[in-house]
Amino acid sequence: MTDLLRITDLKVSFRTEVGTVRAVNGVSYTLSDGEVLGVVGESGSGKSVHALAIMRLISPPSGTIDGGEIRLRELDLLSLDEASMRRIRGREVAMIFQDPISSLNPVLTIGFQLLETLRLHLGLSQAAATRRASELLDLVGISEAARRLSSYPHQLSGGMRQRVMIAMAIACEPKLVIADEPTTALDVTIQAQIIELIKRLQREMGLTVIWISHDLGVIAGLARNVNVMYAGHVVERGPVRSIYKSARHPYTLGLLGSIPNLGDLSGRLKSIPGRPPDMSNLHAGCPFLPRCAHATSQCVTAMPPIDMVDGGSHVVRCWNWRTVAGIKSL
Amino acid sequence: MLELADCRGDKVALNKEPEPLIEVRELRKYFPIGRGLFARKFDQIKAVDGVSFRIYRGETLGLVGESGSGKTTVGRTLLRLIEPTSGQVLFEGEDFRNVKGPKLRLMRRRMQMIFQDPYASLNPRMRVEDLIAEPLRVQGELRRYAIGRRVSELLDIVGLPGEFRTRYAHEFSGGQRQRIGIARALALSPSLVVCDEAIASLDVSIQAQIVNLLEDLQDRLGLAFLFIAHDLGMVRHISDRIAVMYLGKIMELSDRNEIYDQPLHPYTKALISAVPVPDPDVEAVRERIVLEGEIPSPAEPPSGCVFRTRCKYASSICSSKVPEFREIKPAHFAACHLIEKIEAENAVVP
Repeated sequence: MTDLLRITDLKVSFRTEVGTVRAVNGVSYTLSDGEVLGVVGESGSGKSVHALAIMRLISPPSGTIDGGEIRLRELDLLSLDEASMRRIRGREVAMIFQDPISSLNPVLTIGFQLLETLRLHLGLSQAAATRRASELLDLVGISEAARRLSSYPHQLSGGMRQRVMIAMAIACEPKLVIADEPTTALDVTIQAQIIELIKRLQREMGLTVIWISHDLGVIAGLARNVNVMYAGHVVERGPVRSIYKSARHPYTLGLLGSIPNLGDLSGRLKSIPGRPPDMSNLHAGCPFLPRCAHATSQCVTAMPPIDMVDGGSHVVRCWNWRTVAGIKSL
Repeated sequence: MLELADCRGDKVALNKEPEPLIEVRELRKYFPIGRGLFARKFDQIKAVDGVSFRIYRGETLGLVGESGSGKTTVGRTLLRLIEPTSGQVLFEGEDFRNVKGPKLRLMRRRMQMIFQDPYASLNPRMRVEDLIAEPLRVQGELRRYAIGRRVSELLDIVGLPGEFRTRYAHEFSGGQRQRIGIARALALSPSLVVCDEAIASLDVSIQAQIVNLLEDLQDRLGLAFLFIAHDLGMVRHISDRIAVMYLGKIMELSDRNEIYDQPLHPYTKALISAVPVPDPDVEAVRERIVLEGEIPSPAEPPSGCVFRTRCKYASSICSSKVPEFREIKPAHFAACHLIEKIEAENAVVP
């Protein structure tokens, strides 16, 4: 399997009133063709920002990509000029956002917005684009597709709007689709519909997907590999089963302990004490240190390196992961 | 109403406590839609349409449902933050709807609310101590120095350091703000606290902290909770019994384990199967019931059973007759015409 995406030491920061927020602090990973990668983490962990960086949607002067490399196949995305990048967005890499109501233009019909993508990127004629647009709506499970093209976003429900966003994302058959919390704003039964839809499209079209979510349940059912992010770092990464069944990083273990265990309802939740760090005031050393029960003096001085847990597919950034794993009863 | 006579949680049965803290009978809340001269009388949203349940002392009743199911309206009507259209709310046997004046004020102390959004529900111009003391001052119960002492006590109870008292809400994170909201709700020593999506806007690790805090407070202070949420995993964790709402009606009500392990209503079954489980092995093999379509508009609910438009079992009786909310097994209630039939069919298929 070939690598579709290779990210090396990506760094992103934002200048704000309270100082420089270092949102992404050296993220590296590769994504193979047809893979579904789950990215989990809490707010401020850098999961969305790193995705925006892949799309080159970090806008200066407030936000800058400070370093690193993003390669889509042989293409170096960070060195492209804006015009070339515009041809990549939507065509090669597409994004589905959390909130479809703010991602769709309220004064244009969904047909207009879908056709725009098709004509711009694929150079289709009006008639061909209209045909393709109704096919796409059909594909994402919107009935009476031809009629729906003349609807405005506010005339559709949240679930329908998200289906439209998905149709727009897959319109040009991109290689990579980034879904940033695509079901968070939806009810569970609608969420189930959307998850099934994206899974089906992923299978049928051979899409490569980066699925960002704070919901460990959603990721468990669809990802092959999982990146756990904290304070702008990927602190643990591995095949989905390794992450859920034999996590090594204290943060991953804490996150898993924070969700109710359906087998054992009597116990208390194993919450993580404290709260996420102030990203404008990060210290040297491990950013999880103030909340960690396993911290040693080493953790104060330097960010831990990327250690391999088994043969390279499961990696962790923790000085003490060997002892943490020993106390897995946590 | 009367069919709820034996509807008791197991916790209560243990305590041999027959009197419910609060009893809701056939509660209805219709909101008018379309204003102006020609607005017709029947243009209304049936947000809550005939809901009955009980909450016992020290118990947590979970109320789950999707957006538009009416769960928030139930919570607000219970506290009389909005007036119900019809129905009764009995608090310790007394009809809360008929109480007026100073007596109403006294009764209001006993029921408090924790809101979803800790950013919107705290006044940014007030210091923490004033936020927490406000209910005490409004109720005029304590003298000034006593108020100060009570504020310190409350900060301690919710796990916030005392030096926070002179700061403003914007200086705090979401989890800390929610603790302030909880302290405020507890200021008047209520018996019932309505938690309306109280953890929905918090990060996972912070949610766990707040849920643990709520459980500790319940043990310590004997509080009853109406825990309104859409996160079914967390609701199961915290609740003793769970009621499932759909389009203004309760579809099913039972013990938290029974409702998860042996749901009877087709909607509950679909809802529970839609919740993703954080275990890749479970997710790989489990079959999901994916419901077609979306929740209909509460302005034009379907005739008969409101769930029938999305129910794969629906037959002619479902559109002609409203199913009765009845006790199908001991302490397990549901509103569906076909439960016996569905259960019998499922029993045949291995």
